Amino acid sequence: MGVASFKSGLTAWARKRSIWVFHVNAASCNGCDIEILAALTPKYDAERLGVELVPSPRHADVLLVTGTMNPLMKDRLKTVYDQMPEPRLVVAIGACALGGGVMRDCYNAGHGIDTVIPVDLYIPGCPPNPEGIIYGILKLVTGIPDKPEEARQVVS
Amino acid sequence: MSDNAEGAHYTESSAGLMEYSAESAMPFGPVHPSLKEPEYFKLILEGEKIVQVMPRIGYVHRGIERAAQDRTWVKNVYLVERICGICSFSHSLGYTQGVENLTQFEIPKRARYLRTVVHELERIHSHLLWLGLIGHWAGFDTLFMWIWKDREHSLDLLEAITGNRVNKSYSTIGGVRKDLPDGMAEKLKTEAGFIEKRLNYYDGLMKSEETFAIRTKGMGRINQEVTRRLSTVGPLLRCTGIPRDIRVEDPYAAYDEVVPEVMTSNDGDIASLVSIRLNEARDSCRMIKEAVDKMPSGDFKVNIPRAIPAGESMFHVEAPRGELFYYVKSAGGSTPERVKIRTSTMANILTGVEMLKGHTLADVPVVLTGMDPCFGCMDRIAVLDVSKGKEWSIGGEALRRYGIDYYSKRGGNK
Amino acid sequence: MSVESMQAIAAETGGTVTTSKKAVFLNVSREKVPEACAKVAAMPGYYHLSTITALDLGDQIAVLYHFWKGKTFAVVKTLVPKTDARIPSITPAVPAAVFYEAEVKDLMGIFFDGNPYMKGRFVLPDEYPTDAPAPLRREADPAKIRKMLKLE
Repeated sequence: MGVASFKSGLTAWARKRSIWVFHVNAASCNGCDIEILAALTPKYDAERLGVELVPSPRHADVLLVTGTMNPLMKDRLKTVYDQMPEPRLVVAIGACALGGGVMRDCYNAGHGIDTVIPVDLYIPGCPPNPEGIIYGILKLVTGIPDKPEEARQVVS
Repeated sequence: MSDNAEGAHYTESSAGLMEYSAESAMPFGPVHPSLKEPEYFKLILEGEKIVQVMPRIGYVHRGIERAAQDRTWVKNVYLVERICGICSFSHSLGYTQGVENLTQFEIPKRARYLRTVVHELERIHSHLLWLGLIGHWAGFDTLFMWIWKDREHSLDLLEAITGNRVNKSYSTIGGVRKDLPDGMAEKLKTEAGFIEKRLNYYDGLMKSEETFAIRTKGMGRINQEVTRRLSTVGPLLRCTGIPRDIRVEDPYAAYDEVVPEVMTSNDGDIASLVSIRLNEARDSCRMIKEAVDKMPSGDFKVNIPRAIPAGESMFHVEAPRGELFYYVKSAGGSTPERVKIRTSTMANILTGVEMLKGHTLADVPVVLTGMDPCFGCMDRIAVLDVSKGKEWSIGGEALRRYGIDYYSKRGGNK
Repeated sequence: MSVESMQAIAAETGGTVTTSKKAVFLNVSREKVPEACAKVAAMPGYYHLSTITALDLGDQIAVLYHFWKGKTFAVVKTLVPKTDARIPSITPAVPAAVFYEAEVKDLMGIFFDGNPYMKGRFVLPDEYPTDAPAPLRREADPAKIRKMLKLE
């Protein structure tokens, strides 16, 4: 499950350097979304690390989710998660995706996404800085072990 | 049953409970989706052209108006600015000014000037974001990357003044939260000059790039009849030649002394929206420099007691996307009785629908971005092809790549 | 737009006019709302419907139609009893009102006769039960709604 499920050796080495992400907006205010896009633009430049936005969850390694859960988005998020091929990782970005954030007692939203799909990494912030997003994704991905013995030391 | 003659009629089909008639000017009600996932927009195609669009909003409905009744007046600023991350300062400005109208206090002049400066900085950041996105959807990724790199200059300024890039919480009930740091005034002028120079460069670039012109000229045409009928707001209204801007019609903050120039165009298409937003961003640079020069000294905040007197007030601001309307009702307590918010995107959805009609699927990303929707709106689009009887979903990124391929086959994007 | 022109409309529709700092209110009965709104929209100059607001006042719900006429707001106000929450829609004369009325229907439970978006849900999720109170009414409790929509 999660990072430890990545195969070791050459595939892991290659996967660490080419992270294809798919982004889902689950009732977010778009603040986190524009910071994710800003992380891909020249000032912060996540693309030099191999991160690329893909058009379909079937091509993705990592799923980025922003926003609180809204009943309309629950099924859609589950479907997207099911469409991703193994091995796959999920990152919850922003305070809303963690546990509702400032919307935690609203009647139509306000619980974290980990009640719907399993999450491997949480990046807090409202919204988190693009530097924080890149740091988080790197921390997740460098946890992928090169050798099977290192899998036990993985922190996610 | 359906017939493909002109003015086709189409009822009760595999798409669920739906009625549709090509002559009607009014949109039809929500449809029970036959696809398991809910969709933002359902496009109905006949042949290659889109004949009807059914938007489904409610994806970002979180219940904020109700939550605002449970929080104190000041706490609501933090709630309200997270309605939209791109125009968050406009939301807090509309709310705080609406609340201040219920009291007898007058906001100090310096606070009003500071609000103007941050408001215009936000307009620059939002328009640059939109210009980059139009480039992205039209396949002009270089433009997207370069513009977003320059956009970082405005975000750095915002972070230096307010402490955060996106959710700034700068406006508070009674003024602004803190004063300008030392040396900021000079920095604002130099950076505004830099952004203005870059905008001049992009203006020349976008006009000279043919592939960009093919994707934007003549697309999404609307006219004054549509905007009058549907009460459009913002640049979408001004691109049909109607010179309406809330900052000029109903000045708030310091706009009675630092007067904006209202940009209009007569073409009503995406290319005119591009030039209007670019010109507005340039004008914002000019206004920031003027506001810094004219800024009076004094208090940046006046202390307002926690219980706001009873009453109701209406306030609207010109957010980067258009008119943002706030209605605030107080019963005299420490929490509001009612906060009603009407975002500018909500007012423009029907106009966006009108813009899409008659276009092909390849034009959808560019035309839809013209109405400046929220990000999520492009996420999931359902397409129903009436002539083939097929229905399928497509995501935003996939649609973008389809559009680029479509135009490159026709000799457009290279 | 002036107070006199609003008073002329009031005389034709049997309403009253009140003024406040930035707005002129035209209070009419609910049957006269489409006529009053059409007349306000037809006043010379450009009209713009900003939005439609609904307020829960206990036994009654106040519905306000905010028109912006260039210097002040012209607000058409009406009262609707909660037990019989229906108003004729203004969409034939003011097509921009479609979405605003649909939102009020979802969030306050008022039915607008003649608005094409009255079937199904508009902003609320489809799972929101039809017999539960509308979320912005006083009797609705957000915690209960969260349990109903399984958001816990």
